[in-house]
Amino acid sequence: MGQRQFILLGTVGVIALIGGITIAGLNDNLTYYLYPNEAVERRAEFVDGETFRLAGRVVSGSMSEEGDDMTFDVTDGSATIPVVLINTPPPLFNEEVPVLLEGSWAGDTFIAESALIRHDENYEIPAEGNYPEP
Amino acid sequence: MLAFLGSAGMLVALLGAGLLVWRGVVAARTDRHANIDSAARMLLSGSVVAMGAMVIALLTDDFSLVYTANHHARATPFPFDVATAWAALEGSIVLWGLILAVYTWFVLRRYRRSPDRLGAAALAVIGVVGVFFFGLMATVANPFEVCVQAANVGCADSSMWPFAAADIPSDGPGPNRLLQNHFMMAIHPPILYLGYVGMTVPFAYAIGALALGVAGPDWLRRSHRSTLVAWSFLTLGILLGGWWAYEVLSWGGYWAWDPVENASLMPWLVATAFLHSGIVQQRRGMLQAWNLILVISTFSLTILGTFLTRSGTINSVHSFTQSAIGPALLGFLVLTLVGSFTLFSTRADVVATSPRIDSFVSREGTFLFNNLLLTIYAFVVLIGTTYPLILEAFTGTQVGVGEPFFNRLAVPLSFLLLLVMGFGPITPWRSTDAGLLWRRTRTPVVVALAMGLLTAGLVSRNGWVVLSVTLGFFVLGTIAGLAVEQARRRADKMSEALPEALRKVLTGDGTFWAGQLSHAGVVLVAIGIAFAANLGAHTEVVLSPGDAVDFEGFTITYESPFQVSNPSKTTVGARLTVTREGSFVALVEPAANFFGGDETGIPTPDVLHRPGGDLYVTLIAPPTATGSARITFDTSPMIWLLWLGGLTTVTGGFLAMAARRREREVVADRQTAHV
Repeated sequence: MGQRQFILLGTVGVIALIGGITIAGLNDNLTYYLYPNEAVERRAEFVDGETFRLAGRVVSGSMSEEGDDMTFDVTDGSATIPVVLINTPPPLFNEEVPVLLEGSWAGDTFIAESALIRHDENYEIPAEGNYPEP
Repeated sequence: MLAFLGSAGMLVALLGAGLLVWRGVVAARTDRHANIDSAARMLLSGSVVAMGAMVIALLTDDFSLVYTANHHARATPFPFDVATAWAALEGSIVLWGLILAVYTWFVLRRYRRSPDRLGAAALAVIGVVGVFFFGLMATVANPFEVCVQAANVGCADSSMWPFAAADIPSDGPGPNRLLQNHFMMAIHPPILYLGYVGMTVPFAYAIGALALGVAGPDWLRRSHRSTLVAWSFLTLGILLGGWWAYEVLSWGGYWAWDPVENASLMPWLVATAFLHSGIVQQRRGMLQAWNLILVISTFSLTILGTFLTRSGTINSVHSFTQSAIGPALLGFLVLTLVGSFTLFSTRADVVATSPRIDSFVSREGTFLFNNLLLTIYAFVVLIGTTYPLILEAFTGTQVGVGEPFFNRLAVPLSFLLLLVMGFGPITPWRSTDAGLLWRRTRTPVVVALAMGLLTAGLVSRNGWVVLSVTLGFFVLGTIAGLAVEQARRRADKMSEALPEALRKVLTGDGTFWAGQLSHAGVVLVAIGIAFAANLGAHTEVVLSPGDAVDFEGFTITYESPFQVSNPSKTTVGARLTVTREGSFVALVEPAANFFGGDETGIPTPDVLHRPGGDLYVTLIAPPTATGSARITFDTSPMIWLLWLGGLTTVTGGFLAMAARRREREVVADRQTAHV
């Protein structure tokens, strides 16, 4: 076998190996993003304890603290899910902020292990409207 | 007026880019070189005028421009008003165009010194890229649209016609709050763009060489030099981005495998691979085809990165609202890939005639291994970054790829790279014998193991920390050992004193030793990351004024809440004193900034920098009516090594540039002397 073939074969082998490992690693590390209505709809698929990300808005007047935990409701307008956040909330976490939670179902409650405020690009748009839609 | 000026500048630049393509192609075909200057001059002056119009509009609060109306506010202070020029989509494309024009100017200067077909072809390729970006500006991302219907805040409707009757809003909403929160916003994007856009130049030489079918080291030398320039800025840009994230974003991290970060890392990895493999081609004439692939890939990855960050496909600080720019960038990416690789497959045999490698245990062998690791690294990041997009495009399901995926693959790859970095510089070209390698690694191995044991005994048993110190000192040891070995040999031969000999060795092969300085920087980065990622501590407390908490040897006392207002923002925060063993260390003020009457604030951490590492203080919830505040404390041990290492790596890049320039001048002098 010539050197050229050897290198070619070696390269193909290595790429296949890396590709395989990468894809395998990917599938273990994928987390689904769901809005509350999707999460409710697909409740059966995500059994208790299976991690996914829930994106929504914190409902006004729903926030309270119980010991180290924080509870609040998250909504997308059509469905609302009660949430218990068991770790430190992000800085300036508040009612009405858009959040991205990572956690899993426990019965009808979403147990969030982490929370992020979604600073999207539309800071410019005031809540009241009167600003053009992009 | 400014709309007209800006539009005119933009169109002149577009015309200049088009002319550059035409004249470049003609010159490359006929080998008659004239008239390219005026095209490049149009490109440069047009883009300077466009950027100038934009900055003046922002400085003078000219809200007749939609861009100013929607991204600026009267209260936005300096330098953020100027930085707003690239804080949103349209403006960032103007900056892109301006930087491309500046690079064109440097390529033109090189070309004017000795006009040749390759230089002309490269200018034509740059012209094509210029036509695309200025074309974007003139159509889907027009920064000089006039506001024809004002809203309460900002603009409701616009016209591309610069003479349209303007309905001027009284004020605008101001730039993205996160970007207003730190002066780094004024610096990070231009530096990063100098790196990103700079990758166009090596690509242009590579495509020029392929199109002309000119074999030989000429394209490589020029591509290599321009990659070094762009790479140095890209490294600095990534470093500044990480520093900004750490100092401003209040999550205490500097890297999160965010698609935007990945977008800058991928071209960096491939360009780093090319910086190394380019040397193999210069020294041994090997890897020609491979080098072309690397250069084309680097440029393609910058376009992919622009698509990822500018199309709105990904939600982050960097992505702007959805617009027609996404499909345009995607189309350009596909065109680049298809065009380049078609050209490559039809012409590569002309350009690339590589001799075979003698032995894998050689400098070129270590370079091959280094290239393999770096490209695998880039490949892994590419898959992790684009997989969610592809999945969403085909199935409509939104997924995210977690940090564990990246870390699991990136950490071992990084350590392997460090190991190869230790062997590369001390392995001779062509082939080597085990005896020489052992002689050169003996002392570094002993030093490395000793430092590893010392770390395990005195600092931490954490495996990553010990491994990073051990491998790090191995690399540093081989570099130092090689310098001493060469200095001794020179001192013997020339009967010089050792320090004098060392100085002459280091300056004699400036590019090589600049590279080694960059290596040393990478070592510091690796150790800094290992320490900060593995040995940090964290706590969260709710404090009332007067309360104190003990944390990692510090005693932190909450003194009082505070509030400061100025025209652009209101700052609400907590004032704490930090003491250590009874003596005062510092006052820290974690806070939240509320811009222009916003309900939601922007958290602003306070970071106390200490030789052993940082104390990172974040205000989670602003002080309540009773003054109690929820605060988190984190330590980032030795994180300054990361910043120092990054700067060292960048310095190595710039020193290598300077050394190459000197070498070129020396060669030029010799040539003159021979005549």
